[in-house]
Parts: sequence; structure tokens; C-alpha cells
Amino acid sequence: MISLQDYAPIVGQEVIDQLQRLAEGLGPLRLVHINSTAAGGGVAEILHRAVPLLNQLGLETAWEVIEGDQPFFEATKTIHNGLQGFKVELPPELWDHYLEINRQNARKFSWEADFVIVHDPQPAFLIHEMRARARHWVWRCHVDVSRPHFPIWRLLRDIVGSYDASVFSMPQFSQNLPHDQYIIHPSIDPLSEKNRELTEAEINAVLDRLGIPRDKPIILQVSRFDSFKDPLGVIQAFRMVKCHTPCRLVLAGGEATDDPEGPRILAEVQEAAEGESDIHILLLPPDAHYEINALQRAAYIILQKSLREGFGLTVTEAMWKGKPVIGGSVGGIVIQIQDYHTGFLVHSPEGCAFRIRYLLHRPEMARRMGTLAREFARNHFLITRHLRDYLTLITLVRSPGSRVFEF
Amino acid sequence: MSVSVADRVAQNPFWFRDCFIMTMPIGQRAINLRELLHALHEVSDAVLFYHLFQYRLAITTPAVEYPNDFAVWAANSLRDPKLAEKLSSFDPFDYDNLEQLRRAMTDLLEEYLWDLPYIPWARPGMEFYFCEGATVVFRSRISARTLREFYETLKKVGYDSIYYHLFEGRWRLGMREKDDFSYWIETNFGLPELVTAIRNIDVYLYSLPEIQTILLKLLERHLGVPE
Repeated sequence: MISLQDYAPIVGQEVIDQLQRLAEGLGPLRLVHINSTAAGGGVAEILHRAVPLLNQLGLETAWEVIEGDQPFFEATKTIHNGLQGFKVELPPELWDHYLEINRQNARKFSWEADFVIVHDPQPAFLIHEMRARARHWVWRCHVDVSRPHFPIWRLLRDIVGSYDASVFSMPQFSQNLPHDQYIIHPSIDPLSEKNRELTEAEINAVLDRLGIPRDKPIILQVSRFDSFKDPLGVIQAFRMVKCHTPCRLVLAGGEATDDPEGPRILAEVQEAAEGESDIHILLLPPDAHYEINALQRAAYIILQKSLREGFGLTVTEAMWKGKPVIGGSVGGIVIQIQDYHTGFLVHSPEGCAFRIRYLLHRPEMARRMGTLAREFARNHFLITRHLRDYLTLITLVRSPGSRVFEF
Repeated sequence: MSVSVADRVAQNPFWFRDCFIMTMPIGQRAINLRELLHALHEVSDAVLFYHLFQYRLAITTPAVEYPNDFAVWAANSLRDPKLAEKLSSFDPFDYDNLEQLRRAMTDLLEEYLWDLPYIPWARPGMEFYFCEGATVVFRSRISARTLREFYETLKKVGYDSIYYHLFEGRWRLGMREKDDFSYWIETNFGLPELVTAIRNIDVYLYSLPEIQTILLKLLERHLGVPE
């Protein structure tokens, strides 16, 4: 099992000491995280890593997952899309079903806690049924809610308003709410299967197994098959590049149990890539972390051409592996990619194509960007910083009004 | 470093502190310059403090082109370089307290708007989001008893420590003209030239890495360490 101390060579001993001091300051505490999927997607990944480490820090931390049926996930996907700005319509009966599934889950839960962190809209309504089970409730929103579709936000706002605090990934996502709001950037774990160092032999073996030759520079996008990740725009960009410079495109997507749209988008992507032998579409299981790691390390350039993005942990993963990243200029990608320094921000398939060509012809610049990107990720987006923010969040929510704490 | 100065033991050791800022958006935004001006009349001192000082510890562009959040917004979002220049020349250390500072800023913006035939607007997504910060301070377990130890430790500390001792403590303790570093040197060793040189650093203009380099060079020069 990975221990907190294993992170000291990466982030410095003083960072580990600070975490221990923050945790000691909290005293005995029962913390519960709640989300809607145990595998697939950034939230589940963060919790897989953060929960054991929070326990090591002395916080009695549990992770609960709500269960839902197909109509429930259709409702939450509609809510999710609406929060990200799509003009969706949520039929009243679907909204009622969303509330009902939350009530059913609430009846099944038996825990009591001092502090609850509810992730994203899916389990948000639990507070309505379970308020008395915990002293403090915080809503953690991982979604890009910079311009939510108002009818959807209005529904959710009344629920979120009953929490003690909410947490967003960027100030641009904050809302007019009757409680304190905090900014916590997500993070990656440098010691996880997805991010640990791999040997060249390990990388080659994975690529052989997946049937991807390394004869040409690999351009990679790792993301769910989701319209907001714009896989069709990526294929369009790749076709523009390929006319000029030989390269290979890998679109590697995982499946998340709470995303009913996935199969439809995947079919559209397969159709768009038909007849192109240099495009590889990989549908990987949610636990293919090792394979993703190898693909990212084998890539020459990594793309995240999203049209909306809560944060974009695939960008962080790529940066940590010292790769130049070309990302859509949206959501949390803008914080991570500092245009011309740690990568390139683009606004269209044409922009994406241009920057791919630009980097393919400038290997020295690609290397320099990758090196800067890795240090930037080390300073801001590793799990130790995330743990620090969770501990601080609890400290702050328990002492409303105080703004300076000394440890 | 001459032995007599560098190794003289201080009466009180210097305890370095680290800190970080937890950003707390207040759920209010400005979409144009007039909204920014109105908000600046009303927001709390903590919000002003965040955007003028604490934002330095948040994630910023690698090269600090403008010294505060308001100037950055004027340049990047309003696309108004003239206003960005005016807001950059504005030095918070010229004022005794945040109320005076607020007055000076709102006067500046009001005057600027008065002469404009239009109101500068931010593009969608580039609005100004008001935040405040909660500060978490860690007492370091390392102290410096001599100037040599101080110099060696200063080389190793993070930028957050530089921020804390030069910005945060200075305003919160109401000792704007005296930073923690020069105060400790003055009260323990005298050394008026070094103290004056540190106090003369235009800290508002420099980034935290630059300030650290300047401090180290000053110590090297005044204590005889070869550069």
C-alpha cells in the first residue's frame, strides 16, 4: 500500500509535514464522500487515491456511491449537460425520478458523519433526506458551470443552497449562493498506475498489445466519448494535419457507468474515422489505467480539445508526463495550459491542426514545453495539494468567519 | 561572509513561516468597467486584499506582466492597455490602510470612465470574479540564529514564505513600512545599510522568485559573499 511518506521524494518532506499538522489540528473526525460512480471519470479516480490517504492522516474517511437506474442517469446526464450550458429540457417526471432515486439511496445509507462532501449533481438531493446525519455538508461541483442553462440551474440551486458550503474548480464557476464558496483544483496521483514511471519496454509492450505501431509520431486524446470532448473535431484536425505531415491519431476512451450518451457518440466517431488506417479508436475499460499511462508516455503530442471542461485531468496527466498539450480554451484547461508556455490553447479544429503541425516541426520547443508543464503540474496539481485543500476546507467550514489560521 | 557579522548570534531567532491561500469566490462578478467600479465601492476589505496581494500565491502566468488582478483583467479581458498601465502604476504601499486604498482605486476608475465615450466590456467568459482568501500559516520548524543561517535558509524557502514575510504580515500587522526580514535584521544586528536596501526593494513590482533573488544578492553584497 502506498503511504503518505512515499510522496516526500516528489513534493518535499515539508509538504508531508504540513498535511500532518493540518490533520492533527482537526482532531478526530468522520468524513464521508458521496458520488455516483465507483469507476470511470475523474471524480472516482481522485477518490480512489484520496480516501486511503485521508485515512492515513487520521480522518475516518468513507466513500459511498449512490445507485441509480437508466432513467436516473438519463436525468443526471441532462442535468450535467444543462449545467454545462446546453439548452436541454428535463421533463418533470424525469426530475421527480431523480429526486426519488436520491430518496431511495438515502433510505439505504446507514452512516453518520461529522462532515460530508457530496460530489456533483447526481447525489446532491441526499441532503434533503439526510441533513441530520452529519454536522456539515459541502457540495463539490466538478462541472463547468460558468454558463449553466438557467431552468436547470434554478432546479439545482434550491438544493445546493441548503448546503453549508460549495466547492468549485475555478472562480469562473462560482455562483450566487447563500453560503461560502471555495476553489479547489482537482489533482492527479503521481504514484498511481496511471501516472507512475514506466520503462520503454513496458510502453512498447502495451502499444504492441493494442496494435498501435510507433512508426509515426502519435497524437493522442484520452477522454470519454462525449460530445463536449469534441472527438469529431479532433478527427477533423487530424485529417488537416495528415495532408502535410505523417502522424497517427489515437482516440482512447473509457466508459463511465453514469454516461448513457457514450455508445451513440462512439458510433459517430467510428463513422467519421472510417477508411483511415492511421486513426485508432480504443474503447478501454474503466480500469485500463496502465494502458492509458503507456499511451500517454508514447505520445508525441496530447490533445484535449474539449468544448466544455470542468477541469480536464487528462491534461494534468499529460503535463505530468512531460508532454506538450494542445487543449480547448475552456474551463479548467485554461488554468493548466498557459498558452505558449506549458502548451497551446485552441478554439477550433483548424487551430488544433495548426498547433499539431507547429509542434511536429519543432521538437525542441515540444520538449521545452513538456518540461515546463511537468514542473507546473508538480507545483499545483498533485494529490498532496488536493489533500491539503480538503483539510483546509474542513478547517474553514468548521470556523465560519475566520480567515487566518496558524499551525 | 565576514565572521563577525555573519555569525553573530541574534537575541531572537528568526522563525520562517510558510503559508498558502484558499481562494473563496464571493459569487459576484463584473462584466464591464462600470460594474467593477460599483463593486469596488461595496466589496469587503478582504476582497480588495485578495486581488491586490494574495492573488500572487494563486496560479498566475509565469511572467508577471501586471502587478495586480485588476490590471491583468483590464489588459486581457477589457483589452484596454491604457487602463492596465494606470492600474499597474498604482502602488498599494503608498497608502496607510485599505480604506484609503479603496478610495484611491475608485477615484482612479471614476476619472478614467468620466472621459470615455463608451464603457469597456469583457468578452463572455472573461468577466472579473471577485474572491477573498483564507490564509493558512505554518510556523516553520527551522529558525535562523545568525545572518549566515538566515541567508542559507532563505535560499531554500518556498515563494509562499517570501510572500508571507513581505506582503501578508506587513499589512495584517499594520507595519507597512517594515517587512519581517528587515525588522529582524534591524532589531538584532543594526546594519542600517542592509536594512534600508531591503526596505527599498520595490516589492510590488517584482514577482516572488525575483524578490527572493534580489534579497539573496543584497545579503551576499552586504555580508561579503562572492556573487
